[in-house]
Parts: sequence; structure tokens; C-alpha cells
Amino acid sequence: MSCLDYRRALLAGEPETDAMRAHRLACTGCDGFSREHQAFERDLRRALEVPVPLGFGQRLASSVSPAPEPATLPHPDRRRFLAAAASVAVASGAGLYFWLDRDDPLALACISFVMREEAKSIMMGAMPRDEAARAFGGTLPLERLERIGQIRHVAPCPFNGGTAYHVVLAVPQDKVTLLVMPGTHVAARSRALREGLHAAVVPLAGGAVGIVASSRAVVAAVTGAVRPDA
Amino acid sequence: MPPELRARFEEIVRLHAGDLFRFAFWLARDRQRAEDVVQEAWLRGWRNFPALQDPTAVKSWLFAIVRNEFHRSLAREGPPTDDLDGAVLELADERAGPAALEMRDALMALPPTYAEPLALQVLGGFSCAEIAAMLGTTEGAIMTRLTRARQALRRLIEPLPMCERHGGRA
Repeated sequence: MSCLDYRRALLAGEPETDAMRAHRLACTGCDGFSREHQAFERDLRRALEVPVPLGFGQRLASSVSPAPEPATLPHPDRRRFLAAAASVAVASGAGLYFWLDRDDPLALACISFVMREEAKSIMMGAMPRDEAARAFGGTLPLERLERIGQIRHVAPCPFNGGTAYHVVLAVPQDKVTLLVMPGTHVAARSRALREGLHAAVVPLAGGAVGIVASSRAVVAAVTGAVRPDA
Repeated sequence: MPPELRARFEEIVRLHAGDLFRFAFWLARDRQRAEDVVQEAWLRGWRNFPALQDPTAVKSWLFAIVRNEFHRSLAREGPPTDDLDGAVLELADERAGPAALEMRDALMALPPTYAEPLALQVLGGFSCAEIAAMLGTTEGAIMTRLTRARQALRRLIEPLPMCERHGGRA
């Protein structure tokens, strides 16, 4: 077994086989990688184990009790009525929401990038700082980004029929994705909300930037901070 | 349902409720939606439990019901649109520790195609072959997704030097 095979198997979460164990014991590099990987897996498990609502198991057990009608659920007819009423309310609310605040296609494209392309882009690797500064510093200087948070990743990526610069920024409350688009002109600030992600597109000198985060407050804060007068 | 079967089902409830809620959460990224999905899944499971042929497959059967119920809820209600602030605050539990909380932020940024098999593997303890069967794809595709998921998480949680695209110089 080669080092590459060993590490691939670990990253796929495969349990250690005899062949893997034999390789690890003979290879100090992979032994170190394995120890680091175990710490990573412990953090991963703890991260995935989100807190379960208090008494959740008990509520579930009650809901499947053999009583004629489960205590926690309304009668089916009433449920249907409530569902119909809720649908009307949701439809009305959604209609009003979209009437008041239409999702912008470019902001939606930014969300779509985060959902579908971000991991791939990160895996392609980062670009050197001086190259990044040359590529989009005129639109959004790196120093301004560093005042907002810690830059975790910068790389060019295909976006919206052209090239954008994908920046992952860690701020105290969240991680924020920025898509810096030199040469893309937008008339005014726009925004969107989809898949639980908030996005804003902000016009800048010589281009625009898309900002995506899971919190509206974080997007608003970063939106304010990327402007030249911030 | 006979009392002994009911008692067994309630025991299963106690055993798996937590992990099923967590799995639903990572599908929906929304605590309220996760609760609703698991509640509906349990009711469906309760109705179909007597017909379950292979009692040893109960865990994968339940995870599959939660998954199907989540997709039904998506078709019925669309994706959750609530602000995630509340969910994220609630997630900031003391037990997790700073490294795990950072990892949780990174997981939030992971696309569903990566997060789903990862949650099935880590929370459910399923093998790549079992996950492939549940998601209707090949074992190789699942291994690739799991590898990419972990690589993406590593990159998101480790501050990257602004290195050259193909590695090497810092």
C-alpha cells in the first residue's frame, strides 16, 4: 500500500485494515497523518453532534403512543384544515415578500456558487497574495478585507460567464464568501435569500462584489465594510 | 400494534432519536424543520414498523425514512428560509469546544452532496457501501464525496497560506 492509498482510505473514513495498519507502522509520515486525522475526526463528530432539543425522544415516544389520537398531534381533519390555512398564509406571505423584495439573479447566482461550487473551488487551491492584489485590488483591496476578517482562501473561479475571485473570509460570527467581480457593473445594491443563505451584491469602483453568509446581520456588516468610505 | 412490538418501537425511539434529529438537522440546516421531519418520519415508521422484514436493518430503515421525509418536506414547503442566526446561536453548546465549533461553521458551508454522506457515515456509522445503497449511487462515488468533504473541511478550518495554486512556495 502506498502513502497515497493509505491517506485516501483515511479521508474516505474507512476503518483501518490490516494492510493500512502495516503501512502506518512502517511509515512515520503516515503515522503522523493518522494521529492528526484522529483529532480531526473527534472534532468532526463533536461538530456533527448538534444539541438535541430537550425531551425530544420523549415527545417522539408520546407521539406514537397507542392512544386513539396521538396527544401531540391534532385530529387529521383539523391537521388538514390547519395545513390548508398555513398554506394560504405562507402563500400570501411569500407573495408579499417577493412583491416587496424580489431576489436578484446575480445575488442568487452567488448563493448557487456557495451551494454547488465553493468546495470544488477551495480544493483547487489558493493563489499568491501579490497575484490576488494585482487581479482585483483595484476593485477591493486585500487590506480592506483583512480589516474585516481573516482571509482563509483566495482563488479565481469561473462565475456568471466570466472570472470572479473567490474569497473565504472568517469573521467572529461566521464564515463569509465573497465573489469579487472586477469589470462587472451593477447599478445598485441588491440581495437574495435562498437555501438558508443570505446574499448581497454591492457595486464598487470598477466592479462589484457578491457577499454570502448564513446570517443577514453578517452580510449587512460586511456590505458596509467593503465600501471605500468604510 | 401488539404491546411487545410497541415497547420495542419505543425503545428504538429512545436509542436513535438523537442521531436522527442530528441527521435531519444537517439535511435541513434548520432545527425547527429537523424536528418536524423527524416527527413525521417517526409517524411513518410507526405505521410501517410491523411490516419491517429485517429487524437488523431498523437503523438504516429509519435514516432512509428521515431522508425521504426531508425530501417530501422540500417538495411541499421548499427549502427552509428562516434566518440561521437562531440556529447557530443554539448550536453554540458548551460541550463542543472551540475546535468543534469551528468545524461546525465549516460544515455549514459544505454543500449538501458532501454533508449528507458525511453525516450518514459519522452519525449513523454506515459503511460506504450502505451509504451508496441509501443514496442510490456507487460505493466509489460515495468514497470520492467523503474524501472531498473532508478535504474541503480541512481547508476551511485551517488558515491557508496564500500559496501557489499547485502547492510549493508560500
